[in-house]
Amino acid sequence: MVFRRGQRVEVFRKSSDEGWESYMDEYVGAHGIITDPDTSINDPDQLVEVSLEGKGTHRLPQDCLRPLVE
Amino acid sequence: MPDSICPVTALIRQLEETLHAGRMANPWNRRIIEEILDLLKDVAWGRAGADHLPAIKELAGSLRDEPLSTAGVETRRQVLAALAEHDEVFRSHVATHNCATRDCVKLAPAPCQMACPAGIDVPTYVSLIGLGRDAEAIEVIRRDNPFPWVCGLVCTRPCEFMCVRGRIDTPVSIKFLKAFAAERALSERRYKNPPQEPDKGQKVCVIGAGPGGLSAAYYLALKGYAVRVIEALPVSGGMIMVGIPRYRLPREVIDREVAMLQELGVEFRFNTRFGSDVTLADLKAEGFAAFFFAIGCHSAYKMGMPGEGDFPQVLDAIDILKRVALGDRTVPGKKAVIIGGGNVAIDAARTCLRLGSEEVTIAYRRTRSEMPADEEEVEQAEEEGVRLAFLTIPTGLTGVAGRLTGLQCLRAELVRKEGSSRMSPVPIADSDFVMAADVVIGAIGQRVDNSCMTGLQGLEWTRRSTIQVNMVTMETSIPGIFAAGDAVTGPATVIEAIGGGKRAADSIDRHLCGIPQPKMPPVPVRRGRVEYFEIPASTKMVLKRPEMPLLNIDRRRTTYQQVELGYSENDVREEARRCLRCDICLRCGKCVEVCRDKMGVNALQLGYFDFDHPVKTDFRITAERCITCGACAANCPTGAMQIEDREGERILSLCGTILNRQKLLFCDKCGATLGPARYLDFIRKKTGAVGPVSTDRRICDACARKESAKVNVDIMPV
Ligand SMILES: Cc1cc2nc3c(=O)[nH]c(=O)nc-3n(C[C@H](O)[C@H](O)[C@H](O)COP(=O)(O)OP(=O)(O)OC[C@H]3O[C@@H](n4cnc5c(N)ncnc54)[C@H](O)[C@@H]3O)c2cc1C
Ligand code: SF4
Repeated sequence: MVFRRGQRVEVFRKSSDEGWESYMDEYVGAHGIITDPDTSINDPDQLVEVSLEGKGTHRLPQDCLRPLVE
Repeated sequence: MPDSICPVTALIRQLEETLHAGRMANPWNRRIIEEILDLLKDVAWGRAGADHLPAIKELAGSLRDEPLSTAGVETRRQVLAALAEHDEVFRSHVATHNCATRDCVKLAPAPCQMACPAGIDVPTYVSLIGLGRDAEAIEVIRRDNPFPWVCGLVCTRPCEFMCVRGRIDTPVSIKFLKAFAAERALSERRYKNPPQEPDKGQKVCVIGAGPGGLSAAYYLALKGYAVRVIEALPVSGGMIMVGIPRYRLPREVIDREVAMLQELGVEFRFNTRFGSDVTLADLKAEGFAAFFFAIGCHSAYKMGMPGEGDFPQVLDAIDILKRVALGDRTVPGKKAVIIGGGNVAIDAARTCLRLGSEEVTIAYRRTRSEMPADEEEVEQAEEEGVRLAFLTIPTGLTGVAGRLTGLQCLRAELVRKEGSSRMSPVPIADSDFVMAADVVIGAIGQRVDNSCMTGLQGLEWTRRSTIQVNMVTMETSIPGIFAAGDAVTGPATVIEAIGGGKRAADSIDRHLCGIPQPKMPPVPVRRGRVEYFEIPASTKMVLKRPEMPLLNIDRRRTTYQQVELGYSENDVREEARRCLRCDICLRCGKCVEVCRDKMGVNALQLGYFDFDHPVKTDFRITAERCITCGACAANCPTGAMQIEDREGERILSLCGTILNRQKLLFCDKCGATLGPARYLDFIRKKTGAVGPVSTDRRICDACARKESAKVNVDIMPV
């Protein structure tokens, strides 16, 4: 999946990536919008910036995100 | 202390009152109270850890006697008594993040504020701008972000993606409003620094003068630390100065906002590279007590193509942008090809055009819809004449006698690989071709140049080669050394670096004062509750986000003049009026429910309340159906929905948007308010009374009772 800016996504699971911190556990299930995808080479390994409804904006590993059908 | 109010909130209020009333003359005591307040707020917002309460006790114990009053003793007693008396309540706030009275529910900031990585109170400043109070708006912004003008021009604006108005039509143009207010406040000489706390007698060293470092320096200076910024380059600004080109962000904008830090006493040492010109040991010997690293990502990834090292005409985008920013105007080549699909590629391409390259092409492996660059930037680049070559995979370089002549490429198609949801570009067999080029510029990403950090024993790095920090405190694996910005996140954004710098400044302050660190990231702080401005529902619906006027195309292709010319004042004030004031209306939907389900009227068409499935919104519908019963307002928990009788009318408004105004009817006998005709008709129908109100005589219930009593008396036989 290549995430696009403005795309609606869901945090559907925790990530085992080291970029996932324990306080992020409460974001599982949250919906949000990609606000800054990896801006150079669409690297699936990069963290992407996502703004979660009611929970702020965070850089998350991409494997915990899936697009919401629009 | 009354039982109905939560003791945590009550103590916060009491201490804030003590500070504001100026009862504490001793600066030591004032500082201690501020520190206690910080900790109490952590408790109130569910951010505290096990060591918070002991630390509060210890701090309270250190309050000194005031020379001329008993305020010091009293406050000490007050804090200790509250902790002792309500020990269980305080402990349950820390352990369960719960407040039984709901006084301490996390403040519910608007979605735009929540989305801002620096937590700026957007609705408050947008409203102030709408009221023409630009300098106050800047004051509000700078409590969370010292660079409103810079961000007003280049921020990636996560706030606008979350803006609730976007669910109705288009988001409020938050970014440009900020730029307008900053420019206006500066031009009117009303852009001021807030007062600094008294000197704390400690020194902090910031390494890197990019937005992350400058933001930390600003908040540390405000907290009373002596701050020195060490910068390898001869200028401050980091990537905003040497990456972002001048046609997007004029140098004066950066210089003016950085000058505000110099006014606070922040000392700059330019042309000084940490790790070679100065070391940690040197700085410690000079007495620096804490360090903040925001060295960014300044090392470009190589493209890894055969021939890359053979031609001097193969360049990195960030190098060429840096050279141009520092004054070099050499034309890189007549035919420039830029490899990459992000903002840096676009900036490099547009810069080549301005330098005089005749043909500028961006080669990107995927298609337009996967391009990570900002859509508007891509559009502007195309308008200026940059060509985009999609599904193009560079494979090598060709040249003659050490001089580059072309970029070898393959055409690609997007294919879904087995077991992956990701479409990947796959080369098409025998599709190779050569794109003529006398300069090729790689813009495929940057990483941290960690060569300067090798002397830091025990510093941990992530597998992405960024500095490992605790994201709540921004502290690295070495106590007393903090880091933020691109060096921590990888290449990211200005506002994230600013937010990280602010967060680090807070943690450095706690570290140096020996007070515990929070366990959760900070909840954005609401900076005010500005009054609403009234606006008719129809105006609220029809106001449109203004188009940004742009510099003419010839100048855009030849000069570095700012491309976006900014909104007119009238556009700015009108645009601010589109804001829905989500700081007050929390979109809980109680009003819609009560109107539809309890009253059976269904006059509120507020489809934007739902994040996932927004449906149609029309504020104008309300006037057609609403009976002004006020049930929605009575059930609104925040005072967003209001109903009032004013100048002969009953007016229903949502955060100032007039949804309905109905003429009031009055009692013909005593003049008491009866309500609007539509409301009275509704009541009559419900109660089964016959006949519309709009008949010849209208009297209130009291007068009606009196009249019938009089009739009864008159006809009673004596
Ligand atoms: C071309 C380009 C365009 C961009 N456009 C945008 C945009 O439109 N919007 C946006 O939000 N973001 C944009 N960004 C990203 C943004 O500029 C960065 O995310 C941001 O500047 C990061 O801030 P920082 O403070 O972490 O690091 P930087 O801004 O990179 O600053 C780091 C500073 O540290 C200095 N330094 C490094 N090593 C040492 C050392 N050893 N000793 C002393 N000093 C040192 C560097 O010289 C530099 O000044 C862009 C980036 C680039 C490259
Ligand atoms: S409408 Fe106003 S308050 Fe609501 S999200 Fe947009 S800018 Fe923020």
